[in-house]
Amino acid sequence: MPDPKKTLSIFSFSEAQLRFLKYCLVFFTPVVIAYFVLELLVLNIPINYKVFGNYLKTHSQEIEIMGLGSSQMKCGFNPAFIDKRAINLSSTSQHHNEDFHILKGTINRLPKLKYVLLEVSYNHLELPHHPNDYWKNTIYLKYYGVNAFERPTWYKDRLVYLSNTRFFSYKLMEYYVHKSSTEKLNEYGFDTNKYDGAFKKLNHDETKIAAHKFSIINREDLDVFKKNTAYLFEMLDYMQAENLKVIVCTLPLYKTYLNERNPNVVRRRDSVLGIIKSKYGNVVLLNKETDTLNFTVKDFLNENHLNPDGAKKFTAMVNRTIDSLN
Amino acid sequence: MLFSSFSFGLFLPITLLLYWAVGFKRIKAQNAILLLASYYFYGLWDWRFLFLIVASSLIDYFAALAIKSSGNNSKQKLYLYSSIVWNLGVLFLFKYYNFFIDEFAMLFNMQQDEYAFSTLNLILPVGLSFYTFQTMSYTIDVYKNRIAPTRNLLNFLCFVGFFPQLVAGPIEKASDLLPQFNKKRAFNTEEVKEGLRQILWGLFKKMVIADNAARIVNTVYASPENYGSLALVYASILFFFQIYGDFSGYSDIAIGTAKLFGFKLSKNFNIPYLAKSVTDFWQRWHITLTRWFNDYVYFPIIQKNLRNTTRRNVAIFVTMGLIGLWHGADWTFIIFGVFQGVLMISERTPLTKDRKSSLYHKSLIPRFLLPIFSLLFITASSILFRSQNIDELRLILKRIFSFIPSETIGSLIDKRFLVFVFIMMASEIITRTKDFPLIQIDKYINRPTRWIIYYIFIFIIFRYAGPKEDFIYFQF
Repeated sequence: MPDPKKTLSIFSFSEAQLRFLKYCLVFFTPVVIAYFVLELLVLNIPINYKVFGNYLKTHSQEIEIMGLGSSQMKCGFNPAFIDKRAINLSSTSQHHNEDFHILKGTINRLPKLKYVLLEVSYNHLELPHHPNDYWKNTIYLKYYGVNAFERPTWYKDRLVYLSNTRFFSYKLMEYYVHKSSTEKLNEYGFDTNKYDGAFKKLNHDETKIAAHKFSIINREDLDVFKKNTAYLFEMLDYMQAENLKVIVCTLPLYKTYLNERNPNVVRRRDSVLGIIKSKYGNVVLLNKETDTLNFTVKDFLNENHLNPDGAKKFTAMVNRTIDSLN
Repeated sequence: MLFSSFSFGLFLPITLLLYWAVGFKRIKAQNAILLLASYYFYGLWDWRFLFLIVASSLIDYFAALAIKSSGNNSKQKLYLYSSIVWNLGVLFLFKYYNFFIDEFAMLFNMQQDEYAFSTLNLILPVGLSFYTFQTMSYTIDVYKNRIAPTRNLLNFLCFVGFFPQLVAGPIEKASDLLPQFNKKRAFNTEEVKEGLRQILWGLFKKMVIADNAARIVNTVYASPENYGSLALVYASILFFFQIYGDFSGYSDIAIGTAKLFGFKLSKNFNIPYLAKSVTDFWQRWHITLTRWFNDYVYFPIIQKNLRNTTRRNVAIFVTMGLIGLWHGADWTFIIFGVFQGVLMISERTPLTKDRKSSLYHKSLIPRFLLPIFSLLFITASSILFRSQNIDELRLILKRIFSFIPSETIGSLIDKRFLVFVFIMMASEIITRTKDFPLIQIDKYINRPTRWIIYYIFIFIIFRYAGPKEDFIYFQF
């Protein structure tokens, strides 16, 4: 070990330290290489976010309609059935805070954007927003070029596999090993093959479906409700200022799900929808949550998601609503 | 910055390189690097609260010096109380103030808008309960002449702000940690390797056990009204493994990280699910917190009257109630603490005239009943700990004891995750006399096999890590 007092350099390492550094280098190099191989493999998988991103790039000058929301909107809105150029940037568990970031982050790239389809589902207002380090922020950054982190981003924020190793490991196995992916994405990123839900397994038998157990979040949270409602109004104010027409929509739910809803949550959500309708001139409501006439059991993937047939019907309704606005 | 984050994966080697590169003879430079790194580590969360750490450190540093230099006992008491009032005051303001205001208003049946102006919109600084307890113990120990105060401000700032244990412990006694900042730290390859192994084990517990358990527990506890008795009991047991994996995993990473810098931190967990009694449990769970409350609450209450049953029971009751309250400002935590206290007192109550016939003294729970005892105790404690408020607690207990069938429980059972829990438990039980299962693995296994084991762990952590969750104890 060189005596630090006798050396001009501020830093010095002993032999043991250097040996250990080499040891670490040899040990960790394969880990780093393996990681980047996985990252490349993940980037090669044709996931819907990637298709959305490509579509956003190639059609940015033509897009007039943007769909935003959670998995209900993702499964329920197929831009292929809309007369105008549309994009559906909804995704599973996407909440209003992400919707807003996506809108603000893409609006300058979409000169023709006129309509926003915004989902306000049954319990949207009483579920907390996702935190700033939500894993999908990496996806938004990588594929949409949207920074939802609310801080300057750096190289690590673009590493897709690292953002959710569990999810992407599953995707890697599904795509490369089992080759079992049944997704059939159209040019808009909509999965036209997504029929394989709980209802198909039950052969759309209404008696079996009535006995089928499903998950529903009925929790009441007034604090979250107040916060989310204020946030929703902030979003609508922004859209009004940007001269956007907004179709606030609720998507169809199957009757067993409708019956299980917490009436207090429904009442509060509906009162907010009422306020929105009276307060914002640029907003129309498309409330299809309880539409059991147009949507039958065959239109559902499961209790709270439409299948592609249901999506076709719902998208046609969106189309008519947009036509009526002109 | 989370220990399980990519940022920490960059921060740690950079700090470590700088720290060892300045040479072990330059203690001041090493301590300065540690202090800067610690403040950077904490400041990334919220730099404004760095002022609070610095203020607490300075107040206790000068209070201790004043206690030592003052010959007058009443003056010494004044300095001691000033330090205690500051520490407890900060803790009260950030952690308990709104809770007490709410309860006070409820007591007098006030409407929320009548007292809303009195509540404060404050966020709880990360690690506040940990570092205030650590600094407070320093001044108390100086007052009690257990240790001499340090005159080296840099070392004291390092003692309070040492990043491996700053935000969630282990809560160190000044007599254990402070002298380590005065000593030269030699680079010991074996110790550093042990540190890395302990970090690996901690990451496995945090990212694979705790974060995966959180997935299931959060689903059930988000809407307990949708789940039957068995599902609620299952989720509550998993919550124990969540919090154990989370906190003991954090402690392992903290202790391992400290080893990389040549420091030794106290053991914080000792396989609590093998506890033979509630008292035994608290000697195995968050050991440094129990030690703190023993030293500064329990023993001062009982003083030397160990045989005075009433006094001892009061001491247990108060200590456990305070431990409950330490965890958070809610009635569920207070009930949690009191519940533990009542169980401890009942364990120590003699079954016959002979004092030593109590469950505690005899470890009377028969071996074959031990798993049932552990299961019941862990489930009950978990429900109290996890419930957000009294209403939720009531709802969960009502549903459990209504014996509602759990038809959806199948969807909650993740066999692979249960295998990992089994691996963790089996490894810890087999190596129960050691600090952690991977310790001194090089004595028994050759390098290629060892490396394969490490790579398997890294693979499992990458492949099966649950969704990233904050460390639970950060909120305390």
